[in-house]
Amino acid sequence: MSVIGIVGAGGYVGTSLIESLVLDGVRDVRAIVRAYRSVASLARFGSAIELRIADADDAESLTSALDGVSTVVNLTTGPPASIVRSTAAIHASARAAGAERLIHLSSAVVFGAVTSASTDDDSLPDSRHWMPYARAKSAAEAFLRCHISATGPRVTVLRPGIVWGVRSPHTMQIVRMLLEKTAYLVGDGSGIFNGIYIDNLVACIRACCSPVPDGAGFFNVADDERVTWREFFSAFAARLEYDMARIPRVSRSRCPISKGLVLDWLLSLPSVNGLYHRSKRHLPDAVKVSLKRLLAGPYAYGGVASAYATNPGVDRELWHLQRVEHKLPHAKFAARFGPARRVSFEEGVRRTFEWLRFMGYARVG
Amino acid sequence: MGKAADATAGALRTTVVGCGAAAQILYRKPLRRLERQGLLRVCALVDTSEARARALGAFFPGASIASDLEASLERTASELTLVLSPAHLHHRHSICALRRANHVLCEKPMADNADSCREMVAVAREANKLLAVGMIRRFVPAFAEFRQLLLSRRIGTVESFRYAEGRRFDWDVTTPAAFRDRSQGGTGVLFDIGPHAIDVLIWLFGVPRATAYADDGLLGVESNLRIELGFPGCSGSVQLSWDSPLQNELRVYGSGGEAVLRLDQFDRLAVDTGAGWSEIVSTHRHPADLRQPARDSIGPRLYTDAIFCQLIQVLRAIRLGEEPAVAGQAGADCVAVMEAALRLARPLEMTWLSPEHQRAQQLLHWTRRR
Repeated sequence: MSVIGIVGAGGYVGTSLIESLVLDGVRDVRAIVRAYRSVASLARFGSAIELRIADADDAESLTSALDGVSTVVNLTTGPPASIVRSTAAIHASARAAGAERLIHLSSAVVFGAVTSASTDDDSLPDSRHWMPYARAKSAAEAFLRCHISATGPRVTVLRPGIVWGVRSPHTMQIVRMLLEKTAYLVGDGSGIFNGIYIDNLVACIRACCSPVPDGAGFFNVADDERVTWREFFSAFAARLEYDMARIPRVSRSRCPISKGLVLDWLLSLPSVNGLYHRSKRHLPDAVKVSLKRLLAGPYAYGGVASAYATNPGVDRELWHLQRVEHKLPHAKFAARFGPARRVSFEEGVRRTFEWLRFMGYARVG
Repeated sequence: MGKAADATAGALRTTVVGCGAAAQILYRKPLRRLERQGLLRVCALVDTSEARARALGAFFPGASIASDLEASLERTASELTLVLSPAHLHHRHSICALRRANHVLCEKPMADNADSCREMVAVAREANKLLAVGMIRRFVPAFAEFRQLLLSRRIGTVESFRYAEGRRFDWDVTTPAAFRDRSQGGTGVLFDIGPHAIDVLIWLFGVPRATAYADDGLLGVESNLRIELGFPGCSGSVQLSWDSPLQNELRVYGSGGEAVLRLDQFDRLAVDTGAGWSEIVSTHRHPADLRQPARDSIGPRLYTDAIFCQLIQVLRAIRLGEEPAVAGQAGADCVAVMEAALRLARPLEMTWLSPEHQRAQQLLHWTRRR
């Protein structure tokens, strides 16, 4: 029996992966989540999947949850400070449970702005990245690099870029920016959108679950098309009543100061970041409500804002993402695992609009 | 229920059954506040998990701890029972408390089927006790303001509406009860967020008739759904989600304009009667004491404030004979609408899936096994 154990199954990628497996009739799927609240997005699959509660930081509870699993997929997210710890615990548990394969989801963000055209799947990540999440993902990769040839499960590390499309929080961020008319391009928008449509990422993960002889290693995974940020925004703009001719441009050389930027900068400091993640669940409700209101912009009661922001608040992460210079090569994955069935960029946009329309966001266009 | 007009009576002896997330996150602080005011005393905490009951008991040192409601009510004198247990136990716990001469405030949904609700209403009537249903939104200022706005016909005659509420589920539940199959007590998103939506719409427009219903449940309960409802004079849709960020607003279209109630804000709504959107900050307040008339009031800005107001209103209903915000019959109407909607169920059309997956989604839908 070949059981796939998905750790962190209640998240966006996990839900999409499980949906794909269940709808294809795969029945040996075990969803492992940290808390009952994560079961909500999986509830509709019911008895089609097996459900376990285990803490990804706790190798003991995880080993029990992974008992009998042949392939472990690590889709956990969490505070940066916990990423290396959970990666090590999942690796140890997969090994103790006798799993054959461990598929670890890293992120292309570990390469920062991809300033060199020679950056490839086997390049070393930027361990001094400004973003705590990227540094933690780099450190997790470093841990797995040390364990990749050791006895134990075959370790496959996938590095998706921005996962976009149906249910994607990132795509929702862009959609909201267009609806609220707070979108912006960095420079002329020619930065590379290193993205992967959710169904394509799911296809890559599923390909890794198969018994390929030499599947260990680090693999960039991405859509086939080369898409710029201007093209990505444009793909969504027209049907969200956004005129791309009016999109503001911000400096490519220096990130403009905004209250969001100051907050990002503060949160990127390791000590502040740790404190924030430790204390955010304990903040009094009144403080949370006040903070949310302080950071939220005006609400577009008409569904779409009427005025274009001329001086939009710039998000530091999005600013950096828009400065990516090169498309990451991803041919190594296809060479090793075979060509996965791909959803084209155009089809991905179409499907995303179908979802947005269902959600009540997009105008039928 | 009979009129008990003695507002000066001592603290009402109260039993809490179900010491999980609702009790800890929503009710604990308001109950402690009412204890400090001498209006109520938590005398018993009941939960099948002793650990959960004891964790809550740390805040109510005088309360006894029990695992069975019936035994607790036999042993510890109580006048009011707060039913905060998982939804499939609401009927059993409410009937048990009513039959032991307790007034009952039952959290939403009142029960998981309309027959159970009817029985609860009948038992409350027989026992001459209050049966109120916890619908926290009734105490959110913007909701009351929105109702007044519609009643004032500021947007003319209401013609249609769209209610959309959804986000990633982040409620720290202590059991997976809500996510189980419906036959095992699962609520799905319908019986979780649904009571809020349907109750508000009933409050605004009257009791509706479900005309269509679709959801995404396969071998389990749904995470996403859409209901079409017809009211006398207007119709509209309700969309709910446990996994996707919907717009979290109620948008009502009238003959003379449009109004929006933001479901994630306590005090914001807006109206457009042709001259552009105008935001309204609600100043609506609720009684905060048991005096007649109330001398103190509160405009809730947090869910715990709204629960406090709800508890005050239940105490006013018991002590002063006032009507509760949502009496048993109104809670029963809400469940009947949801039950009727389920009978119309068909698979949600998920056109963003590949054609193969759309076919599989239709074939695996729970209605195929009905």
